[in-house]
Parts: sequence; structure tokens; C-alpha cells
Amino acid sequence: MTESNERIQLRISNKKAYVWDVDDIATLRSKHHICGVLTGTLPHLSQQNVFLGVPLLLLPEEVVLLVEKELAVLVDDPSAHHTPDPLALEKWNDERKRTVQEQIAVAGAKESKEAGRSMTEAAIRKRREREEKRAKRKAQPQGEEDLIPQEPQAPLPPHPQSDRPSTPSSSYTYALLISSSSSSYSWYDASQSTYATIFSAQRAGVWIYPSTLYERARCAVFRDLWEKGYFMGVGIKFGGDFLIYPGDPLRYHSHFVATVIESPVSTLRPMEIVAHGRLGTATKKAHLLCGWDDEKKEVSHLSIEWAGFG
Amino acid sequence: MDQHPSHAVLSPFVSKYPRAASGVFQAYNDLLYAQQWKDLEVVDLPKCSRCGFRGRKAETASHDAVLSVVPCSLSESFSLSWIHSAFEEFGGPQEVYIAITAEDSSIVYYKISQGIVKPPL
Repeated sequence: MTESNERIQLRISNKKAYVWDVDDIATLRSKHHICGVLTGTLPHLSQQNVFLGVPLLLLPEEVVLLVEKELAVLVDDPSAHHTPDPLALEKWNDERKRTVQEQIAVAGAKESKEAGRSMTEAAIRKRREREEKRAKRKAQPQGEEDLIPQEPQAPLPPHPQSDRPSTPSSSYTYALLISSSSSSYSWYDASQSTYATIFSAQRAGVWIYPSTLYERARCAVFRDLWEKGYFMGVGIKFGGDFLIYPGDPLRYHSHFVATVIESPVSTLRPMEIVAHGRLGTATKKAHLLCGWDDEKKEVSHLSIEWAGFG
Repeated sequence: MDQHPSHAVLSPFVSKYPRAASGVFQAYNDLLYAQQWKDLEVVDLPKCSRCGFRGRKAETASHDAVLSVVPCSLSESFSLSWIHSAFEEFGGPQEVYIAITAEDSSIVYYKISQGIVKPPL
């Protein structure tokens, strides 16, 4: 396992590989020209789709390549989380409480400093009155005949503030920090859940890809293009399997759209040539037919373009 | 059909590869009369079960280059190995043009190049 520690850990969950560490994401992109797709959204902005963050989701072909090139290992993430013992849990809870207290202390100090400087006597008095009023209203919450019709209420659970001594009660808000990566937890131990080859991960049922001839062909084509120095992205926007970039997709347009053909004898229809060729020409990309020969273990490429006449 | 001026040159291949006859006839006539190619010759492509053509474009900047064309009907299906054998039969040129013909006499040509060839700017 010593050797695999230097390799990037791809965390597998539900047969998909994620990268959570931004340094790993940078290494993958700049050193290994593997881009993946950022998929993380903020919990309260789940519809966002322009600026996404960690985790990075990798294409299955990227995963197979990284493992075969001994650049990464697969970690079965769910089984790397063990049950924490009470001591570890208590330590974690103490740590959490400490950060909350710290935040409250900082916020309190900041507010009293600002209040002393900027608030006038009158403003402070008004504010105190307002707070007293609010406290009075809270003390007699229901029962009073009011002009505003009271909604019929189910019996409320006991007031949260009195029932939860562990939560520091305060008028200040604080953030509960949940780290996006589990590796800092003492009960996170991936040593028994790490797979250095695709075969071992497949045997353990952690990973499946590639399981068919077509999937093997996709992996072989991806590998061949990667070895030629290209960057690959998903090709769906241009009707292919991969988009092929001469450099980082942030800097270059793609020059090619690739379709993977699993065998030299797979059926091709002339209509595919026309459709791919015409779309490619219109978008200034050549279309590649990338064929895989499973017997010879060879990849061959043909480029299609409109002829310019007829 | 046998009255057509193209019949004489194509007839051996029409009888040899009857299934490809209509596409061959259509592509040859288009290249000769519509595209006005020069030095058009017919090439037997046994591995593709049809004949193909070699010729030079009409007055263009690149009219010196001899281009290879293999006809194919829209209703056919083929494979990568079929395309590779077309390259082989033409003697391994860098590119082969595929003439795709439809029953309504429309025809479109696509250039297929070996390897990864950048599109022109």
C-alpha cells in the first residue's frame, strides 16, 4: 500500500468515481490531462449549473486509464467509513462544539465593538425595548385573543432551546462546517478498501466498467487518443462519443468529434457518414471513426469531412 | 441503358457487380458530366464488390491531384473493414472519396482520410 499512497485516490460510490481533493483535481488536469466534470452544487442552490465545484466526476474511460497507468487507485468509499468508537465520537463532538463557541465569541466581540462605535444612545434604547417586547411575546406564546386569527396548531414539541443543552444557545448565527472529504475523520480508513487494479476492483464488486466489447473499445480508443496527447471530453453535444481537444479545453476548441466503433465488421450506414460529416464540417470539426480490433488489440482512425463538391 | 454513352465503359462492371450497378452508373455520370472531372478512369475494386473511379477535378487550384472515389448506395450498409479495403484497392492513398447515392438521383461526396486529419481552417 505504500506505493498506492502516492497515487491519486478515486473514491467510488455507486460505481461512479469521484475526486474530492482540489489538489488532486489540479494534478489530474495539468499533469495527466484528465478533466472529468465538476458536479458539486451548493445545497441551497441545487439548480446551479454554470459554476460547479467538487466533487469531480470522472468518465469511466478516464478511471480505467488512470488505474491502468498506475496513476490512481480506486477506493470503495462507503466501506472505508468504519463505525467510530465512543471516544472518537466524543472527540469529534467536542471539536465541533469548540468551533461553534469560537465563532460565537468572534461574532460577539465584533458586534459589541461595532455597536459601541456606531450606535447612538437612542438607537441602543430602542433596540433594548424591541428585544424586551419580543421576549414578553415569547413568554406568553398562545391563548391571547388576537386580531390575527391563530392557525390551529398541533401540540408543539418541547421548545428546542430548553431541550437541547448540547447546542450552545445564542442569538448569533454560526456555521456548522461539514468537510467535503472524509479523510480527516479518525474512523476513515481506506487501507482495506483500496484497489490498485481494475480487475481486483471488479472482483470485489466495487467497479464494473468495462464489461462489454463496446466498453472495452471505448476504453481502448480513449487510451489511444490520450497517449497521442489529446484531451477528451464528453461528445454528446456534437453527436459523438468523445470530443477531442488539442490542449486544455479551457484554452482550445475541439478539433474532432469521435465515434467509437467496436469492431471492424460492425455495421455502418452511409447516413451516419453524411450526418457526422456534415455536422462536423458545419462546426469546423472533423468527425473521427475510431475503430477497435479486439483480436489485434489495435485502434485505427478515419477522418470524415464533406468533400466540398456534389 | 445500353444506348447511354457511359454504358460501354461501365458494362463489364455492371454485369460483374449487378447489385452496385445503379450507384456506379450514377456516380460515374455525375463525376464526368456534372463535376466535369478529367481523365476519369474506372478501377475494379473486387474486395468492395464494385468498381470505383480515379480522376482529377475540373479547373481548380488542386486539379493536379488524382482523387479516388468509391460509390455506395444510401440503402447499403458497410463496415470499417470495407472502407479499409477500399483504401487498399486504390493502392493506399491518403484519402478516398465516398459517393453516396440515393434513388432520387441525388448524390453527395464525403472525404475519408486515414488517421487523424485536422479539418481545414
